[in-house]
Amino acid sequence: MTTTKHVDAEGRATIKGIICDILEIDEAEMTDTSRFKEDHEADSMGAIEILSQLERAFGIDIDQAELARMVNLEGVVTVVDEAVAAKAAASL
Amino acid sequence: MSELVLSAWSVVSPYGVGSAPFSAGIGAGTSAVGELDRAAWPGPFDRCGLVPDFTAAEYVGKKGTRTMDRVTAIAVTAVGRLLASCGDELTAHPEQIGLVLGTGSGSVQSIMDFTRDSLVGERPYHVDPARFPNTVMNRAAGQSAIWHGIKGPNTTVAGGWLTGLLALSYAVRLHRGGHCARVLCGAAEEYSTQRAWLEWHGRGVEERESPLGEGGAVFLMETVADAREAGRTPLARVLATRFRAYADRADAQKTLAECVGSALDKAGVAPEDIRLVAPLGAGAELAAPEEAGIEDALGTARPRWIRCRPLLGDTSAASTSLQLAAVLATAGESGLGPGEAALVTGIDRDGTVGCAVLGGPARA
Amino acid sequence: MYDNDERPRRVVITGLGTVTSIGLGVEAFLEGLRAGRSGAKPITAFDTTGFAHANGCEVDDFDPAEWIHQVDPEELGRATQFSVAAANLAVADSGLTPEELRRRRALVSVGTTDAESRDLDTLMGVQLEYGPDQLAPTVARRAQAGRLSTGIIRELGLVDVEALTIPTACAAGNYAIGSGFDAIRDGEVDVALCGGADAVCRKTFAGFYRLGTIAPEVCQPFDKDRKGILTGEGAGILLMESLDSALARGARIHAEVLGYGLNCDAHHPVAPDRDSLARCMEIAHRNAGVKPEDIDFISAHGTGTRANDVTEAGAIRQVFATPPPTISIKSMIGHSMGAASALASAACALALTEGFIPPTINHRETDPECGLDCVPNEARPAELNVVQNNALAFAGNNAVLVLGRYREAE
Repeated sequence: MTTTKHVDAEGRATIKGIICDILEIDEAEMTDTSRFKEDHEADSMGAIEILSQLERAFGIDIDQAELARMVNLEGVVTVVDEAVAAKAAASL
Repeated sequence: MSELVLSAWSVVSPYGVGSAPFSAGIGAGTSAVGELDRAAWPGPFDRCGLVPDFTAAEYVGKKGTRTMDRVTAIAVTAVGRLLASCGDELTAHPEQIGLVLGTGSGSVQSIMDFTRDSLVGERPYHVDPARFPNTVMNRAAGQSAIWHGIKGPNTTVAGGWLTGLLALSYAVRLHRGGHCARVLCGAAEEYSTQRAWLEWHGRGVEERESPLGEGGAVFLMETVADAREAGRTPLARVLATRFRAYADRADAQKTLAECVGSALDKAGVAPEDIRLVAPLGAGAELAAPEEAGIEDALGTARPRWIRCRPLLGDTSAASTSLQLAAVLATAGESGLGPGEAALVTGIDRDGTVGCAVLGGPARA
Repeated sequence: MYDNDERPRRVVITGLGTVTSIGLGVEAFLEGLRAGRSGAKPITAFDTTGFAHANGCEVDDFDPAEWIHQVDPEELGRATQFSVAAANLAVADSGLTPEELRRRRALVSVGTTDAESRDLDTLMGVQLEYGPDQLAPTVARRAQAGRLSTGIIRELGLVDVEALTIPTACAAGNYAIGSGFDAIRDGEVDVALCGGADAVCRKTFAGFYRLGTIAPEVCQPFDKDRKGILTGEGAGILLMESLDSALARGARIHAEVLGYGLNCDAHHPVAPDRDSLARCMEIAHRNAGVKPEDIDFISAHGTGTRANDVTEAGAIRQVFATPPPTISIKSMIGHSMGAASALASAACALALTEGFIPPTINHRETDPECGLDCVPNEARPAELNVVQNNALAFAGNNAVLVLGRYREAE
């Protein structure tokens, strides 16, 4: 598990919960590196939905270009971490 | 020309899911309008013809229904039950099956909830993308096709209370034009707090308190030959649909009488052959001219009247489809008898009237 | 039921009514198509604060009182106002007097994506501020999909008429025209007023924006740098009648409707399916009695999104050994939703009679993945006989219409 500065264990659990809810899978089925599309049958709508719900849950902005990195839990946590960091920096 | 028959049907209604409770309820004439649970359904009404205990998860399944709205679930359920009752052979060539589904304005709840999210969210685009298709009015028809793999023409039709009759007319035209071999045709409407408020404000004072209802009905339309080959009993021939318009409410009765007369002519049916009449029986000012207009057209004939409105509530876009289902429920498993005919009518507050004439097998 | 010789009637378009962001009325629309005019500009329909970009193609010089004469425009939502205005224009263009029109049995079918969702947006705003018990009755009453077609009846005083709205989303215009075609072909009605209408609204803009499919500035169908759609609005209504009827009254014929095809991907709510769209084109060709090599140009759905254009181009290459020029007027008028394929049909009819192919504007470099001649930036003179108009919608609802030039000698 990559360590992240702005997303703690609780935040990580929130992210995982959101994704599993959207993909309609049990949290036990998802690992840090299992891939949404290949392993969990996600489609393009699922990906944009994940982005959208994370923006609302964390009050952040995620560029749609980041979808390319948001292919598994690890990737999503990294993107959210950066977005939270960017938001914190912007409010300084 | 290949005449179409109704050979199977399916209903989701305030009596429950399925044609059996509907047939029993219509037969007994017991009202399915009941008290609303005000905690679950805030809004201006405290009575409603609600489909009991209906949720997408319960009737469509848990998988893939997280964002499915109520009207879509009603449609998917009605279409699914119709297909299940017909067997796999029906969908063996899915590209030859058309689906024509009536709607009021889609789900106004889904549409307005989406706008609300845009207006109150931290960002105006903080809306749920998975719910965006719910805000487009072909959602129920499209999702029914996706859910059940129906690949022929997929058309959504809207026309207020006349929606079910217009869907029937459109479906006949679609088939005659050679665009499909069989058509599934009907309409669906949901109860929602948002629809309730729009109806409350949109209605005249005199009809404001009349309870709403919800539900859906879907029919299989095919040629007699196809029905027989599949082992299905033709329940009714679709002999004619006809529509007219009135500019002044004072002309509504006369306009409907002309409309029915014209449909009977086209159908080649004499007024005395009409055994069943199912009028819309809508809002205060239009119910009386509707019955009077029918009586003007039928003269001395004394058919049996099936009045759905007091039993189901105002089911808006699903009304005339449910009236059609009530005719089939009353006709029973063998359908309309030889030489018998039935009439379904409606007058819309927007200035339009319409009717359909159904018939049993031609008299030997 | 049929004409004397028992064959289905031939169906022709004798009236065009267009309300678009590049011109009101058919003359202005034609001029805009020839010149490659752009309707893109900042959206004014709602407060766009918070969106990083919000261009659209609005009809910004529309005074309903100028185009609607019998019905109080206040009783009509904006989409219905467009629909009624376009119907009035189509009737005027056809040369039929209102009295002559009323004597004929008619079908009115109007396609739409959002119907009066713009009013629903407004009502939600009021509801949030003042509560749901404060909604305006006039607005609640008019915010109904059925109004798009019944509004035309009230305006024109039609009596012997069937009126339906076809909310089959972004392919709805072609669905509505197809329905009118069948009704006239079979002698069911004498005249049909068919097309589509929609008004720009917050709900739909926010939805497409969320999906990442709104272009920041302009719509560039088939361009390698295309960035998405611009939401637009307007209405296109076609007046159709049988060829015999048109000839008997000496009407000018814009085009003949040869046929159409419909199908449903039954696959994905928003992603189009190439094979299914290809099948829809084949169905349309069969229904119209034409072969792929007969098609002189294709008016594509061409939304300018990554997914649509590459899928549509792939389907075209699947059906056509050598694809004909394939253009998208959405580059000029944006995506007018339910009006889109109706306005594209009107554009096709004008192209047939005027002998030109409308351009795809805002074009710099064709996406090799699309690989089509999109008639970049400038209209092209051409002798045309048969043209095809594609339309796709959410839920995989495809509709392809085929129009032909009518020649008197035939």
